[in-house]
Amino acid sequence: MIGKKHRGSLLKIVVLAVALFTMIIISFIGSHVGSGIIGSEPLSLLNVEAPKYHPAPERPFHQLPITNTMITAWISITALGSLFFFGTRKMKLVPTGLQNFLELIVEAAANFIEDPAGKKHGAWFFPVCTTIFLFIVANAWVSLIPGFETVHINGEPLFRSANTDLNIPAALAVISFCYVEYWGFKAKGISYLKTFFHFGPLWQAIKLILVGNIKAGAGGLLNGFVAVFAGLLEILSHLIRMVSFTFRLFGNMTAGMILVMIMIFLVPWVLPSLFYGMEAFFGFIQAMIFAGLTLGFACAAVMEEE
Amino acid sequence: METWTIVAKLIGAGLAIGLGAIGPGVGIGILGMGAMNALGRNPEARGAIMTNMILGIAFAEAVAIYALVIAILLIFVA
Repeated sequence: MIGKKHRGSLLKIVVLAVALFTMIIISFIGSHVGSGIIGSEPLSLLNVEAPKYHPAPERPFHQLPITNTMITAWISITALGSLFFFGTRKMKLVPTGLQNFLELIVEAAANFIEDPAGKKHGAWFFPVCTTIFLFIVANAWVSLIPGFETVHINGEPLFRSANTDLNIPAALAVISFCYVEYWGFKAKGISYLKTFFHFGPLWQAIKLILVGNIKAGAGGLLNGFVAVFAGLLEILSHLIRMVSFTFRLFGNMTAGMILVMIMIFLVPWVLPSLFYGMEAFFGFIQAMIFAGLTLGFACAAVMEEE
Repeated sequence: METWTIVAKLIGAGLAIGLGAIGPGVGIGILGMGAMNALGRNPEARGAIMTNMILGIAFAEAVAIYALVIAILLIFVA
């Protein structure tokens, strides 16, 4: 079945898999929980301390109101800024190297946005949506640098993933909300308020009743009330959006952090790498969802009715 | 803190994530089923199906994440 050429590589794969599996088993037995199950002392090499989670970000410099999540956010802003600055300093018509890579990102984002929004509105949405995406993805990936959360100053960690601080997703959610409303007004003018306060059908029905056409008016009255109620619901849904934006990003990033911590506590070797890779993937997906939802709501806000 | 308060908190947190994970679990199952059906009908569209399935899964998963946030708040903050 398997040619002679492939037999060697198959053997290598099997040996590697067995070795990794053995490492998983050994590290589980030697760790805190596993050694408790078989009733022996945990190995000092594998005895990771139990994960502690602090919901609020720590302040490494006690007097200054600077949290460690803010420092991480600055790092990712600086990294993004310098990447784009140095990548576009000597621009060439035929891009090479870093400029090529950056153009790839920008072009993919532009295609992603112009597909549902069209050329004109796409040009409005592009800066905000792309910035949100790049900021979240940078925050998520900066915190995956090995040893990132182990740097301590004054007994507090100096860095912590910026997305695990409730304030930063909340700030992004408020920015996204404000921009969506702004684009709505920019596209439709003052008549954008009709989305929220839709009294037109109700007035018409009342007019009909006052004129004397009771039968048509009564039917219209119900529709009018439904339209008013739907407008009020629209206000609610716009406001609740901010909450769901915030908790989606914050919850995903925090859950990822806790998951990796717990995995390192349970099985210190090999297995955490899988979850680590999954975290990199989820950071990308969450950033795409945040930017994509902003884009979707913005498209809904600027869309012409009928 | 009284013992019963701690007990109630832990039970509440466990129930929050346990019950909250039921719906998204079913939802992700249905999403996977839909994606497999689509893949069976049209194997060429593998890339598009994959992308949209992952997006849909992330949305369904967000609901479980809300429950997880409640559980975390119950244990660590409340």
